Amino acid sequence: MTDDSDVKRERDRHFQQEALSCLPEVTRFALSLTRNESDADDLVQETFLRAYRSWDRYEPGTECRAWLFTICRNQFLNSRARVQREVALEAPELEARQAAMVHDSVRDSPLEHTWLRADLAPAIQRALAALPEVLRSAVILVDLQDQKYEDAARVLGVPVGTVRSRLFRGRRLLQEALLTYAQDAGFVASDQQTDRGSDR
Amino acid sequence: MKFFHRHKHTHEHEMLDCEAVMRQLWDYLDEELSPDRMAAIREHLATCARCYPQYEFEQSFLTALDRAQQEHSNPDGLRNRVAAALRAEGMSEI
Ligand SMILES: [Zn+2]
Repeated sequence: MTDDSDVKRERDRHFQQEALSCLPEVTRFALSLTRNESDADDLVQETFLRAYRSWDRYEPGTECRAWLFTICRNQFLNSRARVQREVALEAPELEARQAAMVHDSVRDSPLEHTWLRADLAPAIQRALAALPEVLRSAVILVDLQDQKYEDAARVLGVPVGTVRSRLFRGRRLLQEALLTYAQDAGFVASDQQTDRGSDR
Repeated sequence: MKFFHRHKHTHEHEMLDCEAVMRQLWDYLDEELSPDRMAAIREHLATCARCYPQYEFEQSFLTALDRAQQEHSNPDGLRNRVAAALRAEGMSEI
């Protein structure tokens, strides 16, 4: 004996189990996008309301988190008056090589330790916020939300190759921004003052 | 009772040069490569004085990025708010 209310109860139970359980991840994702708790709260609430209304369109067995991230990001983009234009992207391989050059430029400074300084975190957040949205979303999804390239591609609605390009470009820009910050703050030397005796 | 070690030490890994490792370093860190390629790069990194520092550099960067994540100050408050909004939308309490 299944009447309509049983069906609805079952549907709601499923929603709570699958979707609502992702609240912590969606909150972190929204917070990364908005960088503002009250905006993030609105965004999270709207995301779950939309997800609840569209629950019949969710395909059971697929990554629910990625589905929620998609709704969340679309809502975030819609809520903003101006949408940033696409950024020109280099081939991922080229980005990887240029990142190697970021490393080469600080080869003699212990920047890998600088990355992990606790007081660098606010600078990382600012640098992330300053990235063009398409790059930022790729970095947030893969680096902060641990999504595989394929899931990130689904959220962003682009091919996997584009995710790689955006991700690698975003990471490189972040490194460059943070390197500049670290030099200005005196964490690392700003010129190539090496301890290689041969330089003298 | 017999246990067979079935490792295939056939050295069928392609030999990787530094350039190839650099190109795929991020894919490697993100664990997005085939198991064979992952193993080949892991092997290269273990012995390459040129690539290993680069690897450490990128890895600590990714760790820093992950740690810099902002945390919500009142997750319970938000949970209650979302639950209330969903109930107002008709979701049954379960
Ligand atoms: Zn090497």
